[in-house]
Amino acid sequence: MLDLHGYGPRLLEGAGVTLQLAILSLALAIVLGLLTASAKMSRSWLLHKIATLYTTLIRGVPDLVLMMLLFFGGQMALNVVTDALYDRFGVDWYVNLNAFAAGVLTIGFIFGAYMGETFRGAFMAVDHGQIEAGKAYGMSPWLVFRRIRFPLMMRHALPGLSNNWMVLLKTTALVSIIGLTDMVRVAAEASRATHEPFTFLIPVALIYLLIASLSEWIFARLQKRYNVGFGEH
Amino acid sequence: MADTPIPLEVRNIKKRFGDTEVLKGLSLTARKGDVITLIGASGSGKSTFLRCMNLLEQPDEGDLIVHGEEIRFKQTRYGREPADWKQVVRMRAKLSMVFQSFNLWAHMTLLENIIEAPVHVLGKPKKEAIEHARALLERVGLTARADAYPAQMSGGQQQRGAIARALAMDPEVMLFDEPTSALDPELVGDVLKVMHGLADEGRTMVVVTHEMSFARDVSSEVIYLHQGLVEEAGPPQDVLANPQSPRLQQFLAPKY
Amino acid sequence: MEILAWFHELLDGNLIFTPQTLGYYWDGLVVTVQLVFVSLLIGLVLAVPLAIGRSSGRRWISLPIYAYTYVFRGTPLLIQLYIIYYGVVFFDGIQETFLWPLLREAFYPALIAFTLNTAAYTTEIFRGAIKATPKGEIEAARAYGMSQALMMRRIILPSAFRRALPAYGNEVIFMLHASAIASVVTLMDLTGAARFVYARFYAPFEAFIFVAVIYLCLTFTILFFFRYLEKRLLAHLRPQS
Repeated sequence: MLDLHGYGPRLLEGAGVTLQLAILSLALAIVLGLLTASAKMSRSWLLHKIATLYTTLIRGVPDLVLMMLLFFGGQMALNVVTDALYDRFGVDWYVNLNAFAAGVLTIGFIFGAYMGETFRGAFMAVDHGQIEAGKAYGMSPWLVFRRIRFPLMMRHALPGLSNNWMVLLKTTALVSIIGLTDMVRVAAEASRATHEPFTFLIPVALIYLLIASLSEWIFARLQKRYNVGFGEH
Repeated sequence: MADTPIPLEVRNIKKRFGDTEVLKGLSLTARKGDVITLIGASGSGKSTFLRCMNLLEQPDEGDLIVHGEEIRFKQTRYGREPADWKQVVRMRAKLSMVFQSFNLWAHMTLLENIIEAPVHVLGKPKKEAIEHARALLERVGLTARADAYPAQMSGGQQQRGAIARALAMDPEVMLFDEPTSALDPELVGDVLKVMHGLADEGRTMVVVTHEMSFARDVSSEVIYLHQGLVEEAGPPQDVLANPQSPRLQQFLAPKY
Repeated sequence: MEILAWFHELLDGNLIFTPQTLGYYWDGLVVTVQLVFVSLLIGLVLAVPLAIGRSSGRRWISLPIYAYTYVFRGTPLLIQLYIIYYGVVFFDGIQETFLWPLLREAFYPALIAFTLNTAAYTTEIFRGAIKATPKGEIEAARAYGMSQALMMRRIILPSAFRRALPAYGNEVIFMLHASAIASVVTLMDLTGAARFVYARFYAPFEAFIFVAVIYLCLTFTILFFFRYLEKRLLAHLRPQS
């Protein structure tokens, strides 16, 4: 049997951290992606420019650099604020930027840009006549979005969404570098301490593969659901 | 008679796309039970005119009065827009449109398509909406297809389903935008039959169509549009049987 | 001249971007470019036969290749890097061979990890492009009596490479960005230089924004290079105007 030198529970905890991080980041990325796609399709020149700048910058800079900028820079910005509070008002308050929160924020922020592109393409693929039918029957813009535009869009967005999720999942490994104790960090630590890298790193790799395979299965089922009514059962 | 408001009144609608003025001041009054058909060559503006009536296109000028309520407009930097979208939503719920390409929602079954707006726009209880929908499906001859998705139905079935969807709103006025143009010739008859029936029971309808037989047999008023203007209008026995303008004469002449 | 004077003033005026730290960034740039370029090149060479094998009808050839690409595409590059970096010691006898002085340094384990990773992605990109070869072109080649090998060399691969170009361009950018993790195994690549400058001056914004701009420039250079290539190589697919 595999001897984990007592690292088993921590490894399992790390896996939980990885999964939570990935799911929360995904949720944030989806929200940001929808906002970005809306901004890109809006009539406002300013919103369009901001969204384009955002997606261009994100896709031009490595995830790790963005993560460090946000994590270390964010901590410094927080320190400036808390120092000022102390100097001016004598409030003694120190905030440590949480690596988990920083991870969710950066990964969500990065993948929001990719999701934005996915959603924009998918929204544009929706048959305009069906949107018009919604409007013509007195649906408010929000109702049209919720009942018609969104479900029709999802069918086109799912392949891209699935792809983004797979990349996002692997990107979560990077937060181990800025100090979050996810399963990669636990495994790397254990490898150094025990000089048995394969014992820890290979199971972690297998967990990633397991999550990826599981997600593939879930996305295939979702695709089936959103393909309803398109003759591709 | 005077105390029931006129279902739909449109006055002096003008609309331009870029440099071309497609509607040059069009008016129309649909009283209860009227069946008004708009005819004209393609590019005459008849579909755009119809789409202005429920504000799928924003007219640059002109008034719109639905059931006695005038739609308010305001000027924005994108052009003239309704001042109150809530008012538009309310007004659209009173006019229901049947489209040339059906536009049934692809991710819903036929039954779901029919109850969608009554439940979510009008706030009808779902059970009641379903009962009503089943009655309408029977009426358009699609009882067996209630659970089919649009992609599984023929064009004629989809269009009859779309008419049932429009009827489910209990509309003041039904707007038809070339409802038979996208259909194979052998499927046109079923759809026209349903429309005949609606006219007979006194529905107020505005119909853009190429079906001259429908215009002749069913409508109370025929409006012939040419390049964004009314060229000739009146009861069908005048306009169609005895056209005055040479252009309409040519339009109606049988093509060999 | 004025620009130079302005630049000098700028350098004099701040404590962080001294000639010395700029030198770190320059060395980092060299390491990053070497690492990315060499791994991409070897990965590309490996990917061609792998993609042909992966497209083969014989399952004993295609299946192992699929297993390889599935594992390398399904796990984080960081894990692959750790496994190779920490694990290389455990190959029996490797410390006695001439390879050891190389492998002891972080550069070569990183190069191996990056190469294996990009080869896996590139294999799948090429496989997709090979699969998308129009059936008619293959039938035409058969009709003219081409052998399987000749057809692969003369018909399928040339058109598949062109089709794969946009996706491969993305892979190159992806590798550039992914290479930032080399700093984790003590390599002084671009990101490593930025981390060093950050730690030394405790100046996260300056250190990381500066390096972000460099990466941005590199990314756009790659992007424009591939746009240019696509224009030249895919000209035959555009309708004549």
